[in-house]
Amino acid sequence: MSTFATEWYLIAIIMFTGFYCMLVSRSIVRQLVGLEIVSKGAMLTLISAGALTNNLVMAQALLITMIVIEVVVVAAGLALLVKNFRVNGSADMWKLNGLKG
Amino acid sequence: MDKGLLAYLLIPLFAAVIIPFAARCRRKLADIIAAVTLLAGLANLAWLVLRPSVINGGFADIPGDGLSLLLVATIYLIGLCVTFFSAWFMDEELPNRPAYYSLILVSVAAMTGVVTTSDFFTLYVFIEVLAVTTFALITTDESAGGIEGALKYFFLTFPASALIIAGLAVLLLTLGSLSFENLRIFMASDIPSGPVTFGAALMLLGFLIKSGVVPFHAWTPDAYQGAYAPVSAHLAGIVTKISGVYAIVKLATLLRFFDGRAQGLSGMLMFLGMLSIAVGALAALRQKDFKRMLAFSSISQVGYIVLAAGLGTPLAIMGAVFHLVNHATFKTVLFLNSASLERSAGTTDMDKLGGLEHSMPWTSWTSVVALLSTAGVPPLSGFWSKLLIILALWESGFKTYAVLALLFSIVTLAYFMVMQRKVFFGLKTRAAENSPEVSAPLLAPVVLLSAVIVALGLLFPYFYTYVRVVTERIIL
Repeated sequence: MSTFATEWYLIAIIMFTGFYCMLVSRSIVRQLVGLEIVSKGAMLTLISAGALTNNLVMAQALLITMIVIEVVVVAAGLALLVKNFRVNGSADMWKLNGLKG
Repeated sequence: MDKGLLAYLLIPLFAAVIIPFAARCRRKLADIIAAVTLLAGLANLAWLVLRPSVINGGFADIPGDGLSLLLVATIYLIGLCVTFFSAWFMDEELPNRPAYYSLILVSVAAMTGVVTTSDFFTLYVFIEVLAVTTFALITTDESAGGIEGALKYFFLTFPASALIIAGLAVLLLTLGSLSFENLRIFMASDIPSGPVTFGAALMLLGFLIKSGVVPFHAWTPDAYQGAYAPVSAHLAGIVTKISGVYAIVKLATLLRFFDGRAQGLSGMLMFLGMLSIAVGALAALRQKDFKRMLAFSSISQVGYIVLAAGLGTPLAIMGAVFHLVNHATFKTVLFLNSASLERSAGTTDMDKLGGLEHSMPWTSWTSVVALLSTAGVPPLSGFWSKLLIILALWESGFKTYAVLALLFSIVTLAYFMVMQRKVFFGLKTRAAENSPEVSAPLLAPVVLLSAVIVALGLLFPYFYTYVRVVTERIIL
């Protein structure tokens, strides 16, 4: 099996794990963890693509920018989560049904 | 990156940094700095485009591809209206008032970045910045509804970003670079485009989620309904259109749907566009809440833009770009009016409202202008953009889609008429008894945008020249 196939096979497993985690868990904290796993898998695709096309320098530069963005996203997401817990008193995704048409 | 328009990105960003310091001693300074920055930008853009010499020259010497300039002007216009509206709408005591204006300016800067960039990675970075500022803005008033809307938005946009990154990786693998120009050159050649189309399809999937097209529309009504009232106008009017729909239109032109490349993708986009026109319009018919109905109407109008982008002929792209601008104006008017209603009558539930026509004449009549434009009644601006889209569909032989688009335009008129009758006409209800017209500063942005709607409709020949220049430049 070539390097390409192994890497992307593993990446597909990681992304699937993340999506599965987001789908089956009710807790918002676990869903955030699942989201993080998905986006880490996505980042691995980029670094793998860079390595395979001999373009690793560019891919690393892109990836460092993405990590910085990721930090901001996680910080904002956790802030939202804490605020939600203070207002609603629970971290259950299925109890968020206040808005209906 | 289009260097000529870089100042429109940097100046709001700089203003956003100085607002918290300036507002420390004089709190009113925050609104003033934000509004003045956006007004100055708008005046500058107007001078760039609306000089008589430029108009007489057929807009030949405008910088860039023209589309960026048009969209930057729209972003600034909506940003200015929302800032001006919130300056009088917001409570004086709200502790995060300076932060609110900073975030609005950062989101304006990020949107300017999205429309002026020329490679996919920069596009991704600015869209991410826009998403983070947006869900901070949604929770401005810290209500339970706002937090719920923001959480749903969060959990659907960031998986979409992961899909966009995966698409970027596939493009990097197959093209070796991420610039728009390389993709355009590749699609213009005769090389079979399978893997590149797959990468573009992954990115399109992400952008479809971000723009709330029908199978992925779960977050849209909740986020629009739960958001702080002026923010929902900002969000529905411009933010989701720039972060999702603009990228779809751009990808559609880069993939060269018009000369028969990537036909499967084109067909899928057209089908999803038609589906969201239908589902959005039918769901809007049975909504009880004013803001939620507007959100479904927004989904339906985005459907028209996606349908036209999927077709991808020059006429259709012209219609899509024009409808994007029109949607920004009329949807902002309607959402700002819903905020006025919330302030004056204390509710946006349509069953509790009624007979507000006499006590709130300005709000009522600007809503009428905006809804007639949405439904496509001549001579207002919405008529021309829908006409272009339907003509393009008919001309390319998609007659079923053309007829369906026309029919759902009538459904649009129907649900807006139901809304207008329930809220503004008819007998006065108890909630409407003591609800006076809102103050003049709250009406000014709405009246300005209504004037823009009427002017775009009546001065359509000039605007058509401009949009044609844009289309000629982006479809080479």
